[in-house]
Amino acid sequence: MKKWMIGLIALLLLLSLSVSASAAEGKVTYSGNAGSFVFEPGSDHSPTDLFPDFKGVMPGDTLTQAITVKNDADDKVKVKIYLRSLGAHDNSVEFLSQLTLKVAVSNENEMAYLFDAAAHQPAQLSDWVCLGTLYSGGTVDLNVSLHVPVEMDNEFQNQIGYLDWEFKVEEYPVEDSDPKPPPTADVTASGWFFAAISSLTVVLLLLVRRKRNDQRI
Amino acid sequence: MLGKIKGKIFIAALMACVMSFIATSTLAYYQAVGTATNVVTSGEIRMKIHERTDAGTEFPTEGVYITPGDVVSKRVSVENICDHPFYLRVKIVYGVDSEQLPSEECFKLNIDREHWVLHDGWYYYAGIVQAGQTTPDVFSHVEIVGSKVDNRYLGKTLTLTVKAQAVQSENNPLTDGKTYTASGWPAE
Repeated sequence: MKKWMIGLIALLLLLSLSVSASAAEGKVTYSGNAGSFVFEPGSDHSPTDLFPDFKGVMPGDTLTQAITVKNDADDKVKVKIYLRSLGAHDNSVEFLSQLTLKVAVSNENEMAYLFDAAAHQPAQLSDWVCLGTLYSGGTVDLNVSLHVPVEMDNEFQNQIGYLDWEFKVEEYPVEDSDPKPPPTADVTASGWFFAAISSLTVVLLLLVRRKRNDQRI
Repeated sequence: MLGKIKGKIFIAALMACVMSFIATSTLAYYQAVGTATNVVTSGEIRMKIHERTDAGTEFPTEGVYITPGDVVSKRVSVENICDHPFYLRVKIVYGVDSEQLPSEECFKLNIDREHWVLHDGWYYYAGIVQAGQTTPDVFSHVEIVGSKVDNRYLGKTLTLTVKAQAVQSENNPLTDGKTYTASGWPAE
């Protein structure tokens, strides 16, 4: 009984931790058909803010922000997703130039660094960098780390720094040679739809044949 | 014969429908761009000095009239009013509106030595002041020393100023747990 209770409490604690961890995640979702991106979670300062964990930073902090980029388009397209940085807004350069930013993309369980420079610069992300090719439901994970030097001066207390990132997608039709994505709820639904259309076609053909036979008689 | 032609037309129409259905599944090449404006904000250290009387009221900003030997109720504490914990130190500065008269020995304070440690003229709070926390009183009463405040001070204004400084405790380790060893104390 006691073990059961301890197990339950541990599970609840794990669940609460996972909820709080996911709450701080940045999300970029592409919905398809050249639609717009959805950026989450946003903040009081910007509705498209992907950095919920970089608030109230203090000298000496090294913080990490996880960002998931997802292709939410239907299963008939694959997309190539690109990222580039437009750098800091003019009024943010002085503050953000104090900070160091690193951006890495997950690549088969390894993190490949895309960016490592002062936070205000576009640096290695001046030009479009391909994050990967994503099929429907596919994701790519970005890992952003921010370092605040312990020597940062008092004058940078209570500052706000704006940094623009651009995401771009190119849609391509899925080819027969492409790997098959794992089945999802959407795939199952479209499968049922296709089956219904096929059945209807067969029924219609049977009706036509029967009508022709009736006319011959 | 007519029925045969109608049947062929119907099958052709059906094939066209199926072909158009297949055609919609072959999407054209699309491109889309979206901009995320990401925000980094820095924290700050803010505090508020409280000066209250034993009755719990604010100590009058205009001061109080004193006579030698008086014990004035003045409780001084500091509140952390930001989101970050900090180390804290306070300094008590005495003054009198006459250059010829000393002020240092006119006051006697009952400093709380349990929580406040004197080092180089500053009283350091022996711990971390967490966000939203108010420190114990640095002192609660001020005695006007009768043997020092003589007739020369008649009509003069004596001042007791509490100066406070704080430095972040995050990423700021101490040596031997002494808060005065923290880095980043502002210049006096």
